[in-house]
Parts: sequence; C-alpha cells; structure tokens
Amino acid sequence: MMRLRLVTALLASAAALVAVTAHADNLVTKDRVGPADAPKSFTLRLTNDGPTSTDPVWAEGYQKLFSDFIQRHPGWRIDLERMSDNIGQEQARMLEQAKSGNGPDCAAVDSFVLALFKGANVLKPLDEYFTKEEVADLFPFIRDGITGPDGKIYAWWWNTDLRVLYRNKEIVPDAPKDWAGLKAAALASKEKGGEGVLFNGGRWEGTTFDWLANFWAQGGKLVDDKGKPIFAEGENREKFLKAVNYFKDLVDSGAAPKRVATIVNYDEFNAAAAAGTAALFIGGNWQYGQLKNTLEPEEFAKWTFSEIPGPTAGERSTGTGGWTFGAFSNDPEKVAMCAAVIKEIYAGPGNALQQQLPTAAALYGKYDIFKTPANETFAKALVNGQARPGVPIYPEISNQIQIMMGDVLSGTKTPEAALDAANTAVQAAFARL
Amino acid sequence: MPTTTAAAIGAAQRRVAGPSLARRLEANPFTWLVPVAVMLGVFYLYPILDVFRLGLTNASLVGNDERYTLVTLRAMFENPALLDILKTTFVFTFASVIGQQVLGLAIALIVMRGERRKLKGMVALRTLVLIAWVIPGIANGLIWQMLFSEAPFGAINSVLRMIHIPPVAWLSDPNIAMLSAVISNVWRGTAFSMIVFYAALKAIDPTLYEAASVDGASGSQKLRFITLPQLRAAILVNSILVTIQTLNTFDAIISLTGGGPGRATEVLSLFTFNTVFRNYDLAGGSVLSVLMLVISLVLALGYASLLPRREASE
Repeated sequence: MMRLRLVTALLASAAALVAVTAHADNLVTKDRVGPADAPKSFTLRLTNDGPTSTDPVWAEGYQKLFSDFIQRHPGWRIDLERMSDNIGQEQARMLEQAKSGNGPDCAAVDSFVLALFKGANVLKPLDEYFTKEEVADLFPFIRDGITGPDGKIYAWWWNTDLRVLYRNKEIVPDAPKDWAGLKAAALASKEKGGEGVLFNGGRWEGTTFDWLANFWAQGGKLVDDKGKPIFAEGENREKFLKAVNYFKDLVDSGAAPKRVATIVNYDEFNAAAAAGTAALFIGGNWQYGQLKNTLEPEEFAKWTFSEIPGPTAGERSTGTGGWTFGAFSNDPEKVAMCAAVIKEIYAGPGNALQQQLPTAAALYGKYDIFKTPANETFAKALVNGQARPGVPIYPEISNQIQIMMGDVLSGTKTPEAALDAANTAVQAAFARL
Repeated sequence: MPTTTAAAIGAAQRRVAGPSLARRLEANPFTWLVPVAVMLGVFYLYPILDVFRLGLTNASLVGNDERYTLVTLRAMFENPALLDILKTTFVFTFASVIGQQVLGLAIALIVMRGERRKLKGMVALRTLVLIAWVIPGIANGLIWQMLFSEAPFGAINSVLRMIHIPPVAWLSDPNIAMLSAVISNVWRGTAFSMIVFYAALKAIDPTLYEAASVDGASGSQKLRFITLPQLRAAILVNSILVTIQTLNTFDAIISLTGGGPGRATEVLSLFTFNTVFRNYDLAGGSVLSVLMLVISLVLALGYASLLPRREASE
C-alpha cells in the first residue's frame, strides 16, 4: 500500500512537472511572451540578447527568465520584435519610427547612439523606477550616458564591454606594456609561425572603436564640449597622427598582416585562435567566454589577456560600449513594464547569463560569475574605459576614420593626407547638422 | 395583362434614359485602369516624389526642424568623394554587365548545343547555374568573403599555396578588391543573363543555321553573322536590366568588403545607404537616390534607342 502511494505521488509530481514545463514553453514563443489572449500587451524590440538568441545557452536562459517574469505579471503579454545583425540600420530605422510615433514600446538601444535618441526627445524618463542608490552605483561614464540635460535618466545601460589584448602565453609569455613592446612581441610571434598581431581594420565601427584607445591613451579628444569635431586641430592632430602611424608601422613592419584592412568582425580573431595562426589580437572582453567554448581546454589554457598597450606603460585607454534599454511608449503602464523587464531580466540576471559586464559596482559582488579572476581583471580595466562621444557627428567621424584606416593601411594615402580628407568630410557634415 | 404592360413601359423608359451608370462605367477603360493607377501611385510614384521633395530639404533622421533648402543639393555635389565613387560605380557596373553577359551567353550556348545533341544533364546544368541567382546578396557576399579570405586558412589562397602560387591580396589591395567584388557579382548575376539568352536562342529560326551550313559557314561565322545579330534585342534589353540591377547592388558589397579598403569598392548605392543609415542624412541620401535614378534612366534610354525598330508594315 505504501509502495502504491509512493508511485502515485511520483507519477503525480512528474505529471505536474510536465504540465508546468509545457506551460512555461507555451508562454515563450518566437514572437510572444505570455498568453496570446492577455488583456494588456507591449512591444519589446531586442537584439540577439533574448529568448530568440542564436546562442542556444542564452536562448534557453532568457526563455526561463522571460517565462518567470510573465508569471509574476499576470494579465500581460510581451510582443517580441527581433533586430537583424545590421545594428546601425536597425537603430536608424527605430529612431525614425520613434520620431513618427510608431516605435516599439520598449527596446534595446545601442549605447553609442543613445545620445541621438535622447536628442530626438523620443525616450521616456525612467527615474521613478530606479532608486537614487541604484543610479549612484552606476559607473560614472554610464550614469552620464543615460542622463539627459534635465538631469533625468532616459534609459538604463545594463551591460558594458571593453577591449583588451589577447595573447597566447606559450608564444608571448609577457604582456606587452607599450606600443614598442607590442610590435616586438608581434614580430617575435611571426618567427614562431604566427601572423603577428590582429586587429579590426576594415570598414566597420569596430575599426574606429578599437583604434581610438590609442588616441585616447594620449589624451586626444574627438570633439570639444559643444560637440564640434577637433580631432585634426592642434595637439589632437599630433596625437591622432601618432596613433595612425603606430598602426601603419605595425603593418609596414610586418608585425601585423596586411589582411587587417579586411577584418570587419571579431569572430575572425576566434577563428585565427582556433586555427592556431594568431598569438596576439585586440578583441572584446566577451571573446574570453567564446574562446573557452571554442577551444579545447588545453588550448584555452594557453590564452590570457591584458590591457591594450599605450604609447608608454603609463598611458592606457580602452573603448567601452554596451547596450541600454529605453521606453518609447506614451502609456505609463507600458513604461513601468519596460522598467520591470530591465530590472528583473537584464540588469543582473541577464549579465550573469551572458557573462557580460554589469554597469553597477554592486552586481560584481552579487554574482559568483563576476568574481572569477578574469572578470575581476576586466572590471579593474574599466577604470581606463572611455565611451564614444554621444554627439550627432560621431557616426560620420567613425565613418571617416574607417575610410582613413583603409587608405593608410593599404598604402593609398599618407596618414597626413588621409587625416586631412577625413577632417574635410567631417567638417562639411558638421556644418550641415 | 397589367404586368406585361408595366414591364414594357419600364423597358421603354430605360431605352429613353440610355445605359445605366454601372454599364457606362463598365464600358469606360479608365474604370479598369483606376485600381492599378492608384496602386502604382501610392506604392511607386508617391515614394519617388517624396524622395525628390526630401532632396530639397535638410531632413535628417536625428533632427526635427525640417525646412526646404538647396544646401543639401550643393553639399552632395561638392562632396570631393562623389567623383571617386562615381568612377568606382562605373568600373563595377561596366565590368559586371560585360562579365554577366559574356558568361551568360556562353552558358546559354553550351546548354543549347547540349540539348541539340541530346546530351544528358542539361537541365541539371541550368539548375546549377540558377542556384547562384537564388542566393541572397548578403549571403553571396559572405560566401565570397570566406573564399577570398586572406587568412592562412582562406579557401582560394590555400589552394594557390598548394600549387605553389603565392597568395593574392583579394580584399586588402584596393585594385584587386574591386576585381573580387566584380567576380562575386558576376557569379551571382550570370544566371539571369543565361535565362534571357537561352529564351532568345530558342526563338532563332533553325533554318537560318541550316542555310548557313549549306553555304559552308564555320561555327564562329554562324555566331557572328546569325546568332549575335538575332540576339541584338535580347542583348540590349538584358543590358538595361543588368545595368539597373548592378547599379542598385550594395548588399553583396557591404558583406564582402564593406566598401573598403578605404573607398575602393564603395559604389553609389552603398554610399547612399551609408549616407542615410550611418550618417542619418535623409536629405543627402535622397539627393544621391535621385542621382541614381537619373543615371539609370539615361542609360536605359541610351540602350533603348539602340533597340531594333519594328517596320511600319509589321
């Protein structure tokens, strides 16, 4: 009798578990979270960071987070919209939609275009959903980025990233401290059959962003306090040319292959690491996890990272980016739900799931994943972090730096001529803004 | 018989009043043209007119104070990069049009010859060529990016190394990058030309070839004096279509080279895309779109003027 009761209890538990799992599965579909007939709904536009992520681990994790979320908010349904990988176009399109009142209720906004969204007055304030302590705990550059001229916060920057120098310890045992050290290490790695140092040099944002660390490390400024481009004036011009000549010298000397002018994707570095052809590359902090997943454990053990070398050991900088969430809806209830998504899914749980660096100091102590030596090192390196200027002219500055880099690295133009051409184009665009 | 009388009176009244409104509308051709005119107007004409309008403003994706001005027009035409971009566009378009037509004609001739000799696999050959045409532009660019990769593990360079030929800077050398972009575009677009030429070759009267054979004409003489003259209309129509298609190509280039290195492969359509979606300059992008439209129209009219005219008696 006892045995029968035990079997019955087990069967009932299993049935209940299956029912709950099936319910949870039904709650998250590729374009919806929550029951289809829920009385209230809001649209949420996401990148790859969500239940439909192409990374199966992230997708599964977010499905669980979203499923739990919607069960805590009965009566609501989230209509999911997914951005393509062409982020620049997606963000531009979303800005236009938001301006005409057709934007999503809540959406992921790339931190480097956040200033444009703030300037267009399409974002709703989120102050009432975050405590003053939570806002104060954000890193200063994050807090500045989300705060509008009226002192209100118009988005929540939930993850950040930075660029570092990855190296294969077996080939490059010591971390290069400065530009000369990196060049010497790259040339030495070539003698051991490698390609030298790899970095982004093609026509895309990563080229500008990764290279800017060398300009910023010298104290160079792209724009003045009013947002006017000044990178080709006075001391900035010298620092700019010094940083361009540094990359040119890496290619001309053979410390970097000519093919860097074609690299438009961080995945190329992972591929080169996996193929064993690269011993040094400048990449993002998120690539540490990718290398761990890609390489065999004994191969991964050879890889480590350090801060990007500056002109001298004392001059360091690194570009910091990341993603924010903003609310576009005029309905206060939907804005509140947007804030709830940020707080309950992304700021904290999402960081831990994707191992993406949090933007608040408290979260580093809250999750064990951020207590690893690697993540603690990344967090320390954020001290030298610098975000891209949040000004409307930045996209054109970036575009011209990409063109300049291609012309210089391929030998089509001298650094001086390329800088002059870039400055002429940027100033003309600025005059029309 | 009162019912019969009433019906007769009604019929007589209708005859006096003439055909009903519905019947008159039915007989009027404009009634049938209105739906398509509305569709074309809303979905084609209005956007074109709006692009013309936007080109005369300072519209931006980030600004709010839109006003009419000629500044955008002047700024776009005074842009020192525009001339280089037009040259790049010309080289890319010209090489692609020639490459697609020559290869398309060659494949169509092979297929025709194979069919005439009842060789097996001709349908498979046609299908194989068509696969490239079905592939989306972005995917096409990514495929060729992997093939042209200059990494030690790049596909084509690996093969070259195996046969002791030094690797080629397919994408990092500005001059070779243009050649690579043309190759990828020709690979994708050849199928379309092949279909057009295949259909046109089918329509050539076989007695012309029989007569030429009787006269002792060689294969190259038949191609020169029968096939090519008979294909003149097809070649010109195909030229118009391929030129417009190539002028609009940016997806394959953006995923292959991004327009680089520098501006080596930045064609007008990619420049327009970058102007709107990277620089948020809606007005500037509109001016460039109008420029593309004008170039396409001029080229299309140029080709069309060369088309053989039908005789009046026909």
